[in-house]
Amino acid sequence: MALMKKSPWVAVYNASSCNGCDLEVLAMLTPRYDIERFGCLWRDSPRHADILLVTGIGTKQSAKRLKRIYDQMASPKYVIAVGSCAISGGVFKEGHNFAGPIDKIIPVDAYVPGCPPRPESIILGVVKVLEKMK
Amino acid sequence: MSDYLVPFGPQHPAIKEPISLRLKLSGSTVEGVDAQLGYIHRGVEKIFERENINNALYLAERICGICSYAHASAYTRAMESMMHIRAPPRVQYLRTMFAELERLHSHLLWAGFMCHEIGFETLFQLFWREREQILDVFERYTGNRVHHSYNKLGTVRYDIEDEDYIREQVHSILPTVKSLRSEIKGNGVVAARFKKVGPVTHKQAIEYCLVGPPARACGVKNDIRKLDPYEAYGKTKFKQPIYKSGDSYARTMVRLDEIFESVKIIDQCLRDMPATKVPKHSLKALPQGEGYGRVEAPRGENFHYYIVKDSKITRAKIRPPTLAVFPALETMMLGAHVGDVPVIVASIDPCIGCMERITVTKGRRTETLTEQEFRRKYCG
Ligand code: SF4
Repeated sequence: MALMKKSPWVAVYNASSCNGCDLEVLAMLTPRYDIERFGCLWRDSPRHADILLVTGIGTKQSAKRLKRIYDQMASPKYVIAVGSCAISGGVFKEGHNFAGPIDKIIPVDAYVPGCPPRPESIILGVVKVLEKMK
Repeated sequence: MSDYLVPFGPQHPAIKEPISLRLKLSGSTVEGVDAQLGYIHRGVEKIFERENINNALYLAERICGICSYAHASAYTRAMESMMHIRAPPRVQYLRTMFAELERLHSHLLWAGFMCHEIGFETLFQLFWREREQILDVFERYTGNRVHHSYNKLGTVRYDIEDEDYIREQVHSILPTVKSLRSEIKGNGVVAARFKKVGPVTHKQAIEYCLVGPPARACGVKNDIRKLDPYEAYGKTKFKQPIYKSGDSYARTMVRLDEIFESVKIIDQCLRDMPATKVPKHSLKALPQGEGYGRVEAPRGENFHYYIVKDSKITRAKIRPPTLAVFPALETMMLGAHVGDVPVIVASIDPCIGCMERITVTKGRRTETLTEQEFRRKYCG
């Protein structure tokens, strides 16, 4: 597959999600979905990563941290917003602590809708970003 | 005197949710812990105050993605107590069964995570592979893997059709879980990393009002399913696993044993469920006044309190299990080796999304406010 020429490393940051999206992102690593098929490697530190998956609405406190983490990543870098919360604030957008959505805080390259999105659709998001990298 | 101040989090490989712990170390021994919260504070209780009672159910289950059904059931229990109704028997059995399925998935997830903390990646992958079997059941009957939206006030959304499928899926996890449990029990590395790590005594557990598996690991019998039976728990037989040592190892064992008890409960539900119809709507009156509901979530007692006026919620108060267990974390950590901190944090099975409260930080100053002060200053 032409996509497999690159091996992007992915990391996740939980910008105040309900955990649902994080679970599905983690499920992506486990035997049934196994994102390593696409040459992706999971990294714990965003400094090593090429793709940052962001979940959650981005609260006032985590927005600052998210900005800092994004700045620490080495270019070229890509961001995927995972879940309705990351895209629009979801059910929490009327909350007093809402500082998002994520694309107001950092630039976003792909959006994966769903509450939470299935692991397959998150993988599709990653693959779309791989196409964009070419 | 502490030598170093080590920040742990908010983005840290060992904790998947952002909390920040400031560890005061002397050499490599932990001398003090300062937790800085507020990264995931979404203001859920405040958002509740504008919701009407039917929409609020979906908000309640989005408090947390792991124990989403526990929040939904606490919510329905609170509302149904206000209306003085009880769901019909078949619905009660269905709800009990789904609550136990959720316990299975949560404990499997957590067991894998605990093994991940001590570097057993293989066990992590194996536990999570089994977890998918449970998620398949959820997906088949509710259409979603994480947020099921299964409860409705007075009833449930869907009936189940083939009971054998559920039985098969649930029993298919048992051989692996059995062998992994004996692996964990007999393994020297696991014993070295878990035994005598983060101990709490029986007395401390009572003083801190611990809930759930951390309390049962020090011999406190506090299972809400036994103490205040709801839905069909009064009609099912199961044991609460009790251990005495109160350390991370005991907490692990309590949860692994609970997996087998949950399977027993699911079997009984499938056997005893009356073959009646699930009502589409059984709301005769609207809830009014105040009411509370508590359920045993996978992590312990989950308590919801609501005041309702004209089918709008005017006040919500939620005490999820992690909020009750969190204060004890400092006791567990004092005197521990710094390398054991991830294991201790994981051993209480924290769900930060549930317990997040507010700390206002301005520059280097932090202030913790009461609700009135907060409203006056920041919501005005
Ligand atoms: S999109 Fe849904 S599952 Fe994801 S963080 Fe938001 S509420 Fe949770």
